[in-house]
Amino acid sequence: MALLFRSSLIQSLTKTTRPMWMAMTSTTRRNMSSHNKETDEEFDERWKAYFERPSIDGWDIRQGINHMNRLDLIPEPEIISACLQACRRVNDHSLAVRYLETIRYKSNAISKQVWPWILQEIRPTLDKIGVATPEDLGYDKPELALKSVDDM
Amino acid sequence: MNSLLLRNVKLTQPQVASMLQYQCRVDASTASSSSSSTSSVVQNNPVVLDNRKPAPQLDADRMRMHPRIGNREIVGYGLKGKPEYFDLVMFPCPSIRWEADTPAIAELRKKEKGDWKQLSVEDKKRLYRSSFRQTFEEFTAPTGIWKWAIGWTLLSIAGATLAYDGWRRICYRFDGPDSMKDAKLKKQLEYHIAARQGPMTGLASKWDYETGTWKK
Repeated sequence: MALLFRSSLIQSLTKTTRPMWMAMTSTTRRNMSSHNKETDEEFDERWKAYFERPSIDGWDIRQGINHMNRLDLIPEPEIISACLQACRRVNDHSLAVRYLETIRYKSNAISKQVWPWILQEIRPTLDKIGVATPEDLGYDKPELALKSVDDM
Repeated sequence: MNSLLLRNVKLTQPQVASMLQYQCRVDASTASSSSSSTSSVVQNNPVVLDNRKPAPQLDADRMRMHPRIGNREIVGYGLKGKPEYFDLVMFPCPSIRWEADTPAIAELRKKEKGDWKQLSVEDKKRLYRSSFRQTFEEFTAPTGIWKWAIGWTLLSIAGATLAYDGWRRICYRFDGPDSMKDAKLKKQLEYHIAARQGPMTGLASKWDYETGTWKK
């Protein structure tokens, strides 16, 4: 217990200034079990290296996105940028939009303030690559209504 | 896969299924798709899936495609490794694209290889819809089924109550007690009048005791 308090204190001292509600989001890993003693930085580096591999293909990007979506966290903006660059390398724009949609959905489940912050952090990457955000495409509201199979 | 063998031999369904599975895994692997030309994925006559029509005859060309998904491109692992499309919040990227590859989409994909800033919003939306069926907002939109559920629950409780009551009225119908017969009730009325029950405003006040009849 004391170890948890100490480590979170040190993390809050070394982290860059962020809004207070960011401390509530689960980007930190509390080690409740004794295995997997990976720090946050190692975790970030591992995922960034995964997406920055120059020869990555669509299959691996999708594996990475699906796997990361299952974890109990929202990825750091650096990881998001690396994934968007990977999508650019395989020339798949709709995959990038889908990925941004998952981040948006997950962050809205926590607080309405997270998604604008994330967009602000990855704005340089978005502008450089030219990916449309879900808001640009009008996908922050439902566009099509599809008939349920029960009504056919 | 020897197409000559297929044409002359009648195979059972499980045999066909396992042969197709093997062939499709070979085709879906990156080795074969990089070696074969783009025409193996993009077809000028895309297969339209229609369950009402009879299944087309198997031949070598059709063996190259997965029989259930047509010529939709297999792009990932998906949920369980099967080439099926799904829209799930937990697994954002399905294993196949949503729409079949047509020449129109092939044009857009070529454009996608260039600068994404040249793509218009319409192009981007078209590309998204060809890869995915519904957006996140669409398949997480509230359906309003809870009203349906509560309504039917209340209706079924009411129906069950009515049925139970009706059953009790039909099956548990007994003869009334002796004291509810006419002769006994008349005797009871005579006793009430004799005992002056309700003398001011009730029963006995309506009986005329001198004449022994009801008051006019």
